[in-house]
Amino acid sequence: MVNVEEIRDYAANLLGKGEVKSVLGFRRGSASAFAEPCTITDVGEAASLVWDPTCLNNLTLYLVKDHKQQAAAKTPDNRPVGIVAKGCDSRAIGVLLQENYFKREDVVVIGVSCEGTGVVDPRKLSAKLKGRTASRVSFYGADGINVRVYGEETETVIPAQEVLADRCLECRAAIPTLNDIVFGEAVGAREFDEPFHAAKAAESLSADERWATWEHHFDRCLRCFACRAVCPMCYCPECVVDSTTFVVTLGTSAEEKANRIRWCERSANTSESAVYHLTRAIHLAGRCIDCGECERVCPVNIPLRLLNTKLEKEAFEMFEYQAGHDIEQASLLSSFRDEDPNSFIR
Amino acid sequence: MEKILNQEKLREWVDMLDDCEVYAPAFADSVWNYARVEAGTDIDLSHTNTIGSVKEFVFPQREVFFRFEKKDGVPVLTATLPDPKPTVVFGVRPCDGRGMPRNDTVFNKEFEDPYYWARRDKLTLVGLACNQPHSPNCFCQSVGGSPHSEDGLDILMTDLGDRFHVKGITVKGVEAMERGRDAFGAVRDGDQAETEKVHDTSRSHPQRPLGNLDAIPEAIRESFDSPLWADMAQHCIGCGICTFLCPTCHCFDINDEVISPTTGEGERVRTWDNCQFPDFTMHTSGHNPRADLGSRLRQRVSHKFLYFVENHKTQQCTGCGRCITECPVGIDIVAVLERVSQS
Ligand code: SF4
Ligand code: SF4
Ligand code: SF4
Ligand code: SF4
Repeated sequence: MVNVEEIRDYAANLLGKGEVKSVLGFRRGSASAFAEPCTITDVGEAASLVWDPTCLNNLTLYLVKDHKQQAAAKTPDNRPVGIVAKGCDSRAIGVLLQENYFKREDVVVIGVSCEGTGVVDPRKLSAKLKGRTASRVSFYGADGINVRVYGEETETVIPAQEVLADRCLECRAAIPTLNDIVFGEAVGAREFDEPFHAAKAAESLSADERWATWEHHFDRCLRCFACRAVCPMCYCPECVVDSTTFVVTLGTSAEEKANRIRWCERSANTSESAVYHLTRAIHLAGRCIDCGECERVCPVNIPLRLLNTKLEKEAFEMFEYQAGHDIEQASLLSSFRDEDPNSFIR
Repeated sequence: MEKILNQEKLREWVDMLDDCEVYAPAFADSVWNYARVEAGTDIDLSHTNTIGSVKEFVFPQREVFFRFEKKDGVPVLTATLPDPKPTVVFGVRPCDGRGMPRNDTVFNKEFEDPYYWARRDKLTLVGLACNQPHSPNCFCQSVGGSPHSEDGLDILMTDLGDRFHVKGITVKGVEAMERGRDAFGAVRDGDQAETEKVHDTSRSHPQRPLGNLDAIPEAIRESFDSPLWADMAQHCIGCGICTFLCPTCHCFDINDEVISPTTGEGERVRTWDNCQFPDFTMHTSGHNPRADLGSRLRQRVSHKFLYFVENHKTQQCTGCGRCITECPVGIDIVAVLERVSQS
């Protein structure tokens, strides 16, 4: 079991020695049983760091945010940032490094191994509790999750496998391979579930059945764009769904305004939402590291992970490529090998 | 009008509303949301707060204002004013009910919005009092409401275990009850007392406190330039969850969606917009007065607890707690107000 005190001490030490400007981690939130992200900048705050199965967020997002802020700042603070990272989060950092988004020395990776567990999937928990809210969630030995339901006296132990996130069940590397230190025991592949099993199951359905599923989901999409906003790989300065850089000058004609390209309309209907989701999925092909954040944040529980793991599976089967596993490797989209299959080029 | 409805008679009442579209909460895809009630299916009123709010029935996420096309070179417009069937929504929590009079004000104050009112006039809200707040983030009482508030509802039902106490509040509500005829029974000795007891117990559950509600507008005004906003929004991801799910957020965008450039065919559409999105206040010049997340968080909070109070003498928040529970990074409007008040 990871000892949170060790993480706190390590973070305090980094800050004390001035080796990092801040440490990204988790603290208890006021809003729910789930931990919330925090950025600590002084030694004293390190005591508020927590580590448990509710540390869901992929904090790598905030490295991207910081990078953008520093790039825009008049007097940037380019000292490294410390980050508490699970295996999947460290792979996100890996992809950003492969893509030269920032440099290795910009980040100090405080790795935590998921050992025998992983993080809870709030959707599975919600289904179990029929929408009621958990007021406390903690590890219960190696195979259990202890849950207290809001408004109830007693706690319930749920077998971990029933509420762990799918990605944790399928995880092939529960230890952050990219790290400066790791807390917890080194655990690699776990065999709770076969990798890509949801994608494989979906493939066995007919095209009509698959479309019916996605039509149901796209139809429910609110287009709040949380799935994009939370993704550390969605770092484009302007996304196709926004229109922040269409600058109108005195010379811009009504025609130009009317005809400016809009890839995707604002309307949250099936066709526009399908365009949004398929565009996003394709932009993540060979880049998504399966942190499951897009799916986690979706307020209406659209199973977005399925779209992304399908492409992850393609990348794995066709090119033996796993995003973020090896930072020395060139990114999938920027590399070519003679033995790459080209059966799809006709 | 006050009546008693046995649990098993609920279905009978719903069936008698057969010329209306009936909606009730349903648990699907791991969330409670309003869904159309098909004839002959049961209604499950064990719901927590629904993920979407009743504002969607009067202010849908997509509203077509009119259609346009070119015929023989001449633009032709076709009106698309909605003409919905009478609609009855069951299981509306009192906090959502309280959102409605606030929305009515917005869509009526300076200009009567015909799209909103075409739907609103045909809508009957059947509330369900909360026997206890179902989330630690409920704070209806801290903003002047209660778990059995009647504000904005046409009917208020209270769950008494084997039966409901049903109270008709408005003319629309009483009519809907009259349509149920024999499904209802008379209120007998003890029913009233039991209903009050349920209400009292529910009110006694602790909720998130807001301190001195009247002092909040001034506190927000004073902290307009405070660095606190940037600090509190540090982990905000600028998604729109907090406002899209809010029963009272009502900002919108209007666009022409061209279906065919050759025939000039298309629709003018109103869609929800969101003060947390980067292009919300984007000027055509390229300047964005609310370019950072801190100023956007300030806007959301100020709109609800300062500007709305100034303009309409009430908060634009009913304490449903959705923006807190559903925020993916734990931004908590109650904690925000606390910090602003203390600064
Ligand atoms: S988070 Fe969910 S509702 Fe929001 S845009 Fe993404 S898929 Fe749609
Ligand atoms: S805020 Fe109040 S009325 Fe709303 S759901 Fe919670 S307890 Fe019920
Ligand atoms: S406060 Fe939360 S829900 Fe709202 S925009 Fe920020 S991250 Fe999204
Ligand atoms: S601001 Fe938040 S708590 Fe208040 S009504 Fe809106 S969603 Fe509910």
